[in-house]
Amino acid sequence: MKTLLSLLFLLAPLFSNEQFELGQKIYEDTCTSCHGKSGNADVDVVFVVKPRSLKASILTEEQSYKIIKDGAHYWGASADIMPAFGTVYEDKALHAVAYYIKKRFNPNIEEKIDHYYNESETISVEKRSKMMQRGKKIYKRNCSWCHGVDAKGDGDATRNPEKSIYPYNLRKTLLNNKQMFLYAKYGGKFWGTDKDDMPAWKVKYNDFTLKSVIFYIEQTFQKDTQG
Amino acid sequence: MNKTLKTLLLTLTLVTSVTAQNHIIDQKGKTFIPHAVSVSPGDTITFRNSDPFAHNAYTDDEDNEFDIGMQSTGTEKVITIKAGKDFSVECAIHPNMLLEVAVK
Repeated sequence: MKTLLSLLFLLAPLFSNEQFELGQKIYEDTCTSCHGKSGNADVDVVFVVKPRSLKASILTEEQSYKIIKDGAHYWGASADIMPAFGTVYEDKALHAVAYYIKKRFNPNIEEKIDHYYNESETISVEKRSKMMQRGKKIYKRNCSWCHGVDAKGDGDATRNPEKSIYPYNLRKTLLNNKQMFLYAKYGGKFWGTDKDDMPAWKVKYNDFTLKSVIFYIEQTFQKDTQG
Repeated sequence: MNKTLKTLLLTLTLVTSVTAQNHIIDQKGKTFIPHAVSVSPGDTITFRNSDPFAHNAYTDDEDNEFDIGMQSTGTEKVITIKAGKDFSVECAIHPNMLLEVAVK
């Protein structure tokens, strides 16, 4: 058994390399027309919603795999721009693309998330009892304009005659609470979106308030998809 | 009510309506323009949205509390100032937007 494990350990880089090469081939054949060779969507195409920068993205490898497989709309994007490739490529190929994207563009994303999250305020036990009330107030005051009172991404601001914003359905998002907090705090542009429709709320609210909003969302809105 | 009193009230109403000013605040580039305004009780503020996306304007000030709701592109909404202290107006959608209102 020990010998077998040692052998697998020695062969692991070869499998990884094979996976990287497969992912790279599919990425270059299929993804570069929108995301660009550099991953920054620096392509000569006009989009309703420009693809996010894969270098600045907050998504983990597993989350990227799910979006590549099912499309972004399935996971809460209101614009149906990123298609589902689950019927185009077999599962091994989809995993290879997600692996390539992580290795090539964003190899330290988990550490990056932890770094930024660990810089934020730790909520004391005394304050925790106030989170629901605070989160509810701020969600209704600010977030519901775009994300909607039911968090389905259909708030009043989406009904502006000039359709220019595409908020996420928070019942479907793949982001975990840590990622949602960082998205709310630093805004979408910081994490790779082209526009700053999702603003950086740190200019207005402290970590306690933003964590309270995420807590309220988690406790109030049932997930529509299985992450 | 005697005739003199009626005349006095009418005069006061006319004076107030003549002296009350309308202040136009443009919402453009996710900014209130101008970002500060000096008003008197009875004045009005017209919020105009010149951006290609929705805006809002609200204050929780206890004397002049208001919330104009969702404001679509190209529309105007008017609020009337009551007596009170200075206050700030924010947009609930865009956290960088701030209007300082000084009440004379």
